[in-house]
Amino acid sequence: MAQYTARRFFYLLIVLLMVSAITFFIMHQIPGGPFTREKKLHPTVLKNLNAKYNLDDPLYKQYTDYLIDLFVPEITTGKHSGDVTEDFLVNIDLPFGDNAALRWINFGPSFNSRTLSVNDIIEQHLPISAQLGLGALLVSMGIGIPLGTIAALRKNTVYDYFSMSTAILGVSVPVIVLGPVLKYVVAVELDLLPSSGWGSWQQAIMPAFALGFAQSALLARLTRASLLQVLNEDYIRTAKAKGLRERRVVLVHAMKNAMIPIATVLGPLFAALITGTFVTETVFGIPGLGRYFVTSITNRDYAVIMGTTLLFAFFIVLSNFVVDLTYAWLDPRIRYD
Amino acid sequence: MRKGFVVLLVGLLVISSVLMTTAGSTKAQEPKVLYTALLPGDVKIDPSLASDANSITMLNVLYVGLTGLHDETVAIEPGVATEWTVSDDGLVYTFTLAQGVSWVHYDAEAGEVVQVMDEAGAPLTLKAQDFVYGITRTLNPNTGSEYSSVLAPWVVNGQESLAGEAVELGVKALDDYTLEITSPQPAGFLPMLYGLWMARPQLQSVVEEFGDTWTEAANYVSYGPYALKSWEHDVEVTLIKNPFWAETMYIPQAKIDEINFIYLEEPAQLTAYEAGELDWIATVPLADLDRMRAERSDQLVIGPGQCTYYYGFNVLKDGVSNVHLRRALSMAVDRDVIVQILNAGQVPAGFFTLPALAAAPHQEDYPDLAIWSDAAKAQEEFQAYLADEGITADQVPQITLQHNTSQAHATLAQAIQQMWKDTLGLEVQITTQDFAVHQETMRFDAPQIWRLGWCFDYPDTHNFLYDVFRFVGPDSNNHTNWENPEFQALLDEAKTMTDNAARAELYAQAEHILVYEDAVMIPIYYYTSIDLTQPYVVRTYAQTGNERFEKWDLSE
Amino acid sequence: MSASEVVETQPAPASQVVSLRTVEKTRSPWMDAWRRLRRNRAALIGFVVISLNVLAAIFAPQIAPHSYTDQNYTALNSAPSWIIDLFPKMKPLGAEGGYVRVNDDYILGTDNLGRDLLTRIIYGARVSLSVAFIGPLVSLLVGTMFGMIAGYVGGRVDNIMMRIVDIMYAFPTLLLVILMMVFFRSSLNQSDPGTLAFRLNEIDSRTGGMIFIFIGIGLTSWMDTARLARGQVLSVRQKEYIEAANSIGADTPSIIFRHVLPNILGPIVVAESLAIPRYISFEAFLSFIGLGVNPPTPSWGSLIAEGSNAIISYPNQAIFPALALFFVMFAFNFLGDGLRDALDPRSSKEV
Repeated sequence: MAQYTARRFFYLLIVLLMVSAITFFIMHQIPGGPFTREKKLHPTVLKNLNAKYNLDDPLYKQYTDYLIDLFVPEITTGKHSGDVTEDFLVNIDLPFGDNAALRWINFGPSFNSRTLSVNDIIEQHLPISAQLGLGALLVSMGIGIPLGTIAALRKNTVYDYFSMSTAILGVSVPVIVLGPVLKYVVAVELDLLPSSGWGSWQQAIMPAFALGFAQSALLARLTRASLLQVLNEDYIRTAKAKGLRERRVVLVHAMKNAMIPIATVLGPLFAALITGTFVTETVFGIPGLGRYFVTSITNRDYAVIMGTTLLFAFFIVLSNFVVDLTYAWLDPRIRYD
Repeated sequence: MRKGFVVLLVGLLVISSVLMTTAGSTKAQEPKVLYTALLPGDVKIDPSLASDANSITMLNVLYVGLTGLHDETVAIEPGVATEWTVSDDGLVYTFTLAQGVSWVHYDAEAGEVVQVMDEAGAPLTLKAQDFVYGITRTLNPNTGSEYSSVLAPWVVNGQESLAGEAVELGVKALDDYTLEITSPQPAGFLPMLYGLWMARPQLQSVVEEFGDTWTEAANYVSYGPYALKSWEHDVEVTLIKNPFWAETMYIPQAKIDEINFIYLEEPAQLTAYEAGELDWIATVPLADLDRMRAERSDQLVIGPGQCTYYYGFNVLKDGVSNVHLRRALSMAVDRDVIVQILNAGQVPAGFFTLPALAAAPHQEDYPDLAIWSDAAKAQEEFQAYLADEGITADQVPQITLQHNTSQAHATLAQAIQQMWKDTLGLEVQITTQDFAVHQETMRFDAPQIWRLGWCFDYPDTHNFLYDVFRFVGPDSNNHTNWENPEFQALLDEAKTMTDNAARAELYAQAEHILVYEDAVMIPIYYYTSIDLTQPYVVRTYAQTGNERFEKWDLSE
Repeated sequence: MSASEVVETQPAPASQVVSLRTVEKTRSPWMDAWRRLRRNRAALIGFVVISLNVLAAIFAPQIAPHSYTDQNYTALNSAPSWIIDLFPKMKPLGAEGGYVRVNDDYILGTDNLGRDLLTRIIYGARVSLSVAFIGPLVSLLVGTMFGMIAGYVGGRVDNIMMRIVDIMYAFPTLLLVILMMVFFRSSLNQSDPGTLAFRLNEIDSRTGGMIFIFIGIGLTSWMDTARLARGQVLSVRQKEYIEAANSIGADTPSIIFRHVLPNILGPIVVAESLAIPRYISFEAFLSFIGLGVNPPTPSWGSLIAEGSNAIISYPNQAIFPALALFFVMFAFNFLGDGLRDALDPRSSKEV
């Protein structure tokens, strides 16, 4: 187990390193830079800005500097400067020297804002996206898994067709259509919930539903498929033959095994949802992290592009790891090797 | 049973009436808050760095300029300068500052706006030295100011300073309340220009203490009718009334206590407005405009905008290097249909310059100098082009129109593409690029036709014709690769004149060269501003695009 | 001795032995599957809906009542009376609070340029169905090859190849696609005539911007297929017939293509058919962020994205394209499920 975890951790590092390298070099290939404006900057101003953020260094140097800032812990002494280029995610005070601290993980400054570091952006907006993502995940499980179960148990009946149609409705009516309609009906016509924003549970209901409903189709289909497969396994047949009641068979024996493929999907889905969903956040005016995935690219805000990408990659790899562990719990036959 | 019910009912009535009166009495003390929204894209409320309309609007109430523009008449009026004089050669401006304007700061712990104190414990007031510092900082190339290039030509040694030379700028504090700015060249619009946001004072001690983060709400200082209460980046900004603002004839004490801006996309803004969550929105999706006209005609106000929408030609490229083809393409655009599609009262543009600007020529006054939509003439010009090049219609090179990604640009481009096809039989290809790519390609290798808009920084024609088309090259705003000495001479001459009627005459000639004779750009339409305001908001409508919130109020 | 001769003299693979036995009783497993599929009414309906859509896409010029580019400036955002009756929010001009131009010439109404919505939906099927077919094809080609090689060769090669999959997987799809699109469109625009990049760009502009969407989909979707293919290969490579082929010296490519591929294709095809709705909605998403097809080419995604701007005032502009999308997704879903049920011999006992 320890060896397995160590190896997974090593893979995680490799994946992050490769993802960072690819992103870094692609984004620098795209025309335009963080200071491309409709109103042209004075050439000296542009030169100084590039120098300030070390954008005039050769690419390989920019990249290695970035990696060093990000991965190599630093021990600093003295007062922490408030400068956005010196913002670390991990700050551990050390018991010696003049205010000494171990500081680690510096994603760099946002070029676009000048007053924010990427760490600031992540700290402020990731929790919001995570809350929304979690809500949506619960909604999608709440809708998807029961629908899939009904469909599997009553295969090729009206119940099956109805469940699956509902689920498909979720994917084919995108949030850009569902969202505004939902908002108009609930917030304007019925005046039940606030139309947009974030901060209260009332504001979370509509976006979590819209986002979760869209994802529920995937879960419904997967539940149906894997449950159908499990229901044909011998031990279920045996259980049925022994005269156990169908509901009990399904709930106790089949569901647990049917959850395995669902867990596989839930991991990455969870990672994708909590790191922010651009469309839902845009439609409902939620200040989550999702929009930074898009705006950082349009603004050529290099450090934010890197930060959001690595964060996403980190969560994906991590969630896959968690999924593998969950496997073992769900199916003792699976071993780490 | 029945009796119990009656008692219960009476009890409820009493309780609710008590609740209602207390609610009513607390409401009277509650601050007046105006809720509104901004399009996403964080503001920059550093006077040296601000570049977008939202930031500039906020800066106009946080940092009052030397001079200002009346929101409705657009006439120049005193700001924090009570008066100013100009030397006979039109180069040296001397501003007298209002005394006793305090620097203030919002103290989050105390929950109120407090004066900034100096070391001796006395309130710090606005001084001429603060202006010297602010202007010097804007013109320092290390600051990275986008709008430094607008100010630099009008301050002695401004250009040199921006280029990194150690020079003495033509801005001096003669004493604490007298500021002298020297321009290397005269111009009529200088009093207006010196009042712009990049020429505002800044408090050196604060800027130097906090560096780039001095604009965070915890550090921010200002002196205008509003102060910054909170700023959650990309989420919301709240301005709060500055009780220390000494009312002037032009800039009153604010009546609304707080203004809350949240970042929302256009459709979300409208829904929030319709749900009664917002009191005012300054943008309405075009698709919902007819419905708003029908449902909320009393709340909808459409006024003049600040920008011109246009297509430009790269005159070095195949096909559009020929002026006849350019003119044909321009005349084939049916501007009346365009504004009909846009449907928000936009005005068809025959000139580049917005008609509302100082010294702007009006196309009605110079009908022979403007370009007009005319299908028959467009076809004539197209034939002239074919004859010129000695080619037939199917030998016309492939023409490409490039615009940056946006639904609105795409809609117009498709309409115009169709007009060109119908009138000239020309199939123009549309390509879409993301904003930065669009800008970059225009700088270095502009496509044959490209889309842009231009909005004024200060309402003078100089800011349109001269600032956009006078120079050519990657660092200019002119991506046509076109130069015309006659055009340039007209602009140079108009620049130094002060009589606006005479300037308009010259600008009309210049426009004629730009849009007709050489036809290097297609002016399409003049923007409008669209406002939806709840009936209880008492407000003015700023023609400059920068709302003067201190004049607004909320009625019961 | 050539590889093909070897194959012919080797003993028949185990699966074929099994199927030979069953052939005597019924017909073939494929016929069996087809029979089961035909019995599945939902799958059959799905098949019919897709066929009808394909026909509509092919014969769009014959069916469509208008041209998809024709703009009628007197009928901007118009709607026919039946739609106005359907949506109480849409009040006709002239009525109290009315704002919708009534025009019965257009069955589903018009968009903000006065173009016929029905026509644009019919033409939109071309892009959306192309995506539905070419998306899986790209993913199938790249993913299956990749996964098969990794699974068959095994060892360190497998490890490295699967780490590549991990890396691609960990990339935010959105970022990858935006970066790619911006990169392609900007760099190819500048390329010289005659180069591959230039030709690609030309094809892209001819097809209304579809090529880069396919590339984007291909780039972001092959990883699942690769994982599945690898897993399948791992399970079949221990089978006797592979070992037999190996022992008599057949070379790796021939083993992969003649023995491994046919035996793993079934599950992969089924998985792909189930992934089709994802590709279609991916195209819709690209349109939403402005990276979809070039105007005026319609696609369902771009129609929905454009229509969503007007969803409250003119709900017909988004709802009808969404409905079209719904029916096709629905059809692909049931067909996919049906295919899986039909191809899975165990489930046949249930039917």
